Amino acid sequence: MTDSGFTRRDALALGAGMAALGGAGRARAQAPAEVKVALLAPISGPWARQGLLMKMGAEMAIDDINASGGIRSLGGARMRLVVYDAGDSTEKAKNAAQRMVAQEPDLAGGTGAWLSSFTLAVTEVTERAELPWLTLSYADSLTSRGFRYIFQSSPTNDNQAIAVLPTLMALAERATGKKPTRLGLISDSTASPQSFVRPVRATEAAKYGLRIVVDETFTPPLSDATPLIQKVRSARPDFLLFIATNVPDDKLVMEKLNEYGLGQAKLPTIGNGGHMAVPELVQLTSPEILEGLMVCMANWPGKDQEALTRRFVERTKEPWMGHDSIFPYAHMMIFREAMERSGSADRNKVAEAIRGFDIRNEGPALFFPSKRLKYDARGRLEDAQLVTVQWKSGVPQLVDPPSMATAAAYWPKG
Amino acid sequence: MDAQILLENALNACVAGLVIGCIYGLMCVGLSLIFGIMRVVNFAQGDLLMLGAYAAFYLVAGWGLLAFLGLAGPFAAAVLAGPIVFAGAWLIHRWLVSQVSGLRTAGSLDEGHFGQLIVTLGLALILQNGGLILFGSTPRAVRTPLSASAWLVEVGIGDTTIFLNKARVIACLVAIVVVVGLWLLLDRTRLGRALRAAADNPTAATYMGINVDRAHRIAFALGSAVTAIAGGLVASYLSFTPFMGLDFVVIMYAGVVLGGMGSLLGAFWGGVTIGFVQQFSALALPPQLQNAAIFVVFLLIIILRPQGLFGRSADRA
Repeated sequence: MTDSGFTRRDALALGAGMAALGGAGRARAQAPAEVKVALLAPISGPWARQGLLMKMGAEMAIDDINASGGIRSLGGARMRLVVYDAGDSTEKAKNAAQRMVAQEPDLAGGTGAWLSSFTLAVTEVTERAELPWLTLSYADSLTSRGFRYIFQSSPTNDNQAIAVLPTLMALAERATGKKPTRLGLISDSTASPQSFVRPVRATEAAKYGLRIVVDETFTPPLSDATPLIQKVRSARPDFLLFIATNVPDDKLVMEKLNEYGLGQAKLPTIGNGGHMAVPELVQLTSPEILEGLMVCMANWPGKDQEALTRRFVERTKEPWMGHDSIFPYAHMMIFREAMERSGSADRNKVAEAIRGFDIRNEGPALFFPSKRLKYDARGRLEDAQLVTVQWKSGVPQLVDPPSMATAAAYWPKG
Repeated sequence: MDAQILLENALNACVAGLVIGCIYGLMCVGLSLIFGIMRVVNFAQGDLLMLGAYAAFYLVAGWGLLAFLGLAGPFAAAVLAGPIVFAGAWLIHRWLVSQVSGLRTAGSLDEGHFGQLIVTLGLALILQNGGLILFGSTPRAVRTPLSASAWLVEVGIGDTTIFLNKARVIACLVAIVVVVGLWLLLDRTRLGRALRAAADNPTAATYMGINVDRAHRIAFALGSAVTAIAGGLVASYLSFTPFMGLDFVVIMYAGVVLGGMGSLLGAFWGGVTIGFVQQFSALALPPQLQNAAIFVVFLLIIILRPQGLFGRSADRA
């Protein structure tokens, strides 16, 4: 002991403390000031509107994350969105992905590219770059290639078809007192609708005692729906599955059904995909023509997300928040969660963190219908659940699952 | 298949083919006019159609200038889209197309065709992407209840019914009136004779005191205006984006070649033929083969009658 009372033990403790402080300082110094994530979506071309809706959702999430203190485990690093245009073709989407990985070597991850065929091309590039890629695209082929860095947040098309029929059959039976027996199918020839109708044709229709009385496939875009709807009129199905990929075809078919006396809920019609519940569809047709149309899809903000929807509407002046905006919002929240858990913006660690997720009823899981966030070995979301919205007085209302529903479903009785 | 259903399907295909074919015919006439008089293959024709659709949209829905016309508004707007696009096309020709066409390229090895190809393709890209910046990516339509309703014609055999889509039938009638008006203009007026003279022999026309460059400018603007009217009519029943031209330019070219390159009435009938082929092919073939059927017929015509269905081998406007 010395006169000053400063012992050797005190000196060692001070030294250890200084070292610890120094280490913490270095950790802060190594933490990036900002972390970049990408959105690669069609901002030009025929699907530009979908890309813009995605951008709105992603930007809102980024602002929410930064407003709440950024990535805390990275010293409050702010998230920054970099946007790349997938354009109007698979080739352009792939080129954009190549540009993105070359120009942004410090990306932590990304999301896109809406159309399944674009996502297939983009993920060929992101997989080689070992960049974790979250997607809302539906095609089952996306996660059948043995890729490790793709995470598909939607139920795949074939699973959607399998999931939707029992719900529809039950709804129809409750409303009419009898099971429908005659099914009409109209689908476009692109990958996603075809992967939806394949199991319906092969097994699902027969499983529920349905006879497919009309089954027509068209190449989008339609210039005229007369031949299709003429066949529907002749075949007189009990309900119609109309599986397309773009708003102009939706308008044309819905108006043609009306022209042939089958519209305005006279023939129960069920669609698939976010494009059938966008504001422009009602602006292009009319609330009466869309009345009763049901649309099954992979996500939609329900009654538990009313505050989020309200903020989105105030911010963007869009009439509602839908499928194409909730997904990128959720995906940005997933990246934040992955970086918080891994304490790193390194893409491999982010991917590893996402692979390790099994989150229930909290955090980013709240933005998915099943309220569970766990990707399987292929990158598919386990327990991915389908939701159904129904057009009522010009507004799509979530009607299924009941736990999220903002309105009750009804089966148009004709 | 039940005979009555078959009859109803065939009758409706026939009517729909005729109605849509007339609108296609109007588009083709615009393209044919430009080719027939100027010998310019205009790859931007589909995008001029798009400008017509947007002009009609803004006249009725965007700015609401013609909203007071009620149900007639969309069709009046389609017709008014013609003069608007005429003015724009006049300027496009003055500054761009005239640099690679007309007397300026008369003596050149390729008659300016390479330059025309690049200029019109470039123009198409500028119009598409400029349209995206200006009009946005949201699909638009000139909304009218007529597009989702039909006049029903009972044919007296069981409940066989012909459905006449109201918007398309009116659009078809407007298209026929415009084509007849254009034919009268070219056949019966001094301006028409000047245009035909400039088409037949530009050098001789110059010696006769005809301003060939001006004649070409009028032809380009007129052809663009006619296609723009077709675009305005399409807008009354289809939704569209700045990229709509891509969907129609192939139909236009097929129609013009089917009818006979440079023949005005041939182009109209070429368009009508495409409408029929599109509809009737869907009776027997899956609908995704509709466009394939058009090209099968197209190739057959090219093999069997290279000058086109309704054209003579040296026919010009």
